[in-house]
Amino acid sequence: MGYFRLARRNAWRKPLRTVLLMLCVAIAFLIHGLTASFEQGNMAAGSASDDVLGVASAAGRGQSLPMAHLSRLAAEPGIAAVSWMTRLRGYAVRESNIVAISAVDPATMVQVSGTELGLTPVLMAALATGRDRVLVGRTLAEVQGWRVGQRITVTVPATPNKEGSRDWRFEIAGIFEGASPASDTHFVIARYDYVNALRTRGTDRVEAFVLRPAPGIKAADLARQIDALFANSAAPTRTQSEKQFLQAFMRQYADVGLIIDLVVGAAFVTLLMIVINTQMLAVRERRFEIGVLKTLGFSQGRLLALVLGETLFIFLTGGLAGLALAKLATVMIGPGLGLVLPVQTLGVALVLILGLGLATGLIPAIRAMRIPVTAAFRTR
Amino acid sequence: MTTTPDLTPWITLQGVRKGFRIGTETVPVFSGLDLTIPRGDFVAIMGPSGSGKSTLLNMLAGIDSPDGGTLQIGGARLDSMGESARSAWRAHNMGIVFQFYNLLPMLTAAENVELPLLLKPIAAGDRRARVEKVLELVGLAGRGRQYPALMSGGQQQRVGIARAIVTDPALLLCDEPTGDLDRKSADDVLDMLRFLNRELGKTIVMVTHDPQAATHARRTLHLDKGQFVEERKAA
Repeated sequence: MGYFRLARRNAWRKPLRTVLLMLCVAIAFLIHGLTASFEQGNMAAGSASDDVLGVASAAGRGQSLPMAHLSRLAAEPGIAAVSWMTRLRGYAVRESNIVAISAVDPATMVQVSGTELGLTPVLMAALATGRDRVLVGRTLAEVQGWRVGQRITVTVPATPNKEGSRDWRFEIAGIFEGASPASDTHFVIARYDYVNALRTRGTDRVEAFVLRPAPGIKAADLARQIDALFANSAAPTRTQSEKQFLQAFMRQYADVGLIIDLVVGAAFVTLLMIVINTQMLAVRERRFEIGVLKTLGFSQGRLLALVLGETLFIFLTGGLAGLALAKLATVMIGPGLGLVLPVQTLGVALVLILGLGLATGLIPAIRAMRIPVTAAFRTR
Repeated sequence: MTTTPDLTPWITLQGVRKGFRIGTETVPVFSGLDLTIPRGDFVAIMGPSGSGKSTLLNMLAGIDSPDGGTLQIGGARLDSMGESARSAWRAHNMGIVFQFYNLLPMLTAAENVELPLLLKPIAAGDRRARVEKVLELVGLAGRGRQYPALMSGGQQQRVGIARAIVTDPALLLCDEPTGDLDRKSADDVLDMLRFLNRELGKTIVMVTHDPQAATHARRTLHLDKGQFVEERKAA
């Protein structure tokens, strides 16, 4: 019998109470896992760049811009690099399994967004090996279970190809990770030349130009300058930073991030109060036994570790169960709802479990540590 | 082999003072208590309720400290140690046997006995071997997997003694060890304490109300109103 076993035995002395506490922790981390999945899958605005500008049609989303704008943009001062893209919105296997494809010009895109997307020279070389090659984001690859070398078919209802089919076939050349765990990697990067050559609608037009301002140039000033440039053209533009674009998109529904933070915050505060209160009660019930342990020579530090170990056991069991359920949910219904729970988010949740376990155990543990033996013996 | 006590004082109390605050007043229990116990002795302490027996035992155990005077055991000044140091000292030098056994109900007999060994750097296999050995010594071989609730009072007290001696301490403190037992079980426990004293050389200080229990000790000290009033040596 070691310390952990002793802590576990203490935790299980009232099985119903312990199971209810674990359930409480599991539900909190299920909520956390699902909301984190939602944020990861739908709201990468937090990691989006302020330095990358997107030039789209002022007429609204879904309207394209002529390729002719490229030469005017390239000639404009204050721009370090410019690229272009068009998006295909389709699904894999079933309609609820949505897949977004960004068809880009690899050579220029890597100059604009290569760092943010984590586009390494190896990935770019792999993409260059064939026109139908694509790079898949890490989170999307995990959700779909896709591997490098696999051939995939994405059905794009709005964009038939010249073969007369709406099925677009690609081969996965690599998986991009994004610059940070919060980066949006829930999409496919395809080659614009391949998509443009095969599509029957919107040929030689783009959905947006993306550009990086030259050093020292303010993105907001450059955005105004570009929109002014095309104001009187046949296709006026609206230029926004990548972050502004995503935030504006999400605000069409609500301030989802704030709502999520409030829900998770309320769940965790409630959880903390329940566990602290219950553990205080457990320590109070056990004052006499704590006195016995002290008499046997258990130091204050060891008693602190024992109560903390008990709380950690409850948190780890409940928290991991909650995260496992959240992961299961993202695998089963995630693709339809855009839920993604990557390994990094699970790692953060694990740190949260340990942190909360220690935080909630600390007050009862300090109380146990400070009980004088003579006072403990009087409680029998 | 029967051991006899070394006559050099091993436990020494000099001018020990102790009182308890009740409201604004301090009620004195000891006002200059002196006591010496040589190593290998078996001392029974008797006295009426409120005479200070338990307070004395608590101070010897280091779970309560004197307000003044010196308390020394085997060269260690318990009166000047902090709580952590006293805990460590207890873990290495002392075993305590309680009146109501004080076993942890969610642990088996063997796990209860193993508890003090968790405080020492001993491998799990060695811990188990030591636990088996002491359970055999107290006559509970093969009962290690039983939970305390399924054992008789006498058996639980033997588990308590096994827990007290598993670390092989030099000193055993017994607080009314037979107070909750029938005569037969009480005699078994007292025989065991005598064995531990005579054969293994443990120094034992036992607080008891039972005159028959006291006859198992080498000498009996009577405490009344915070002073030793009588000393009787075993025949």
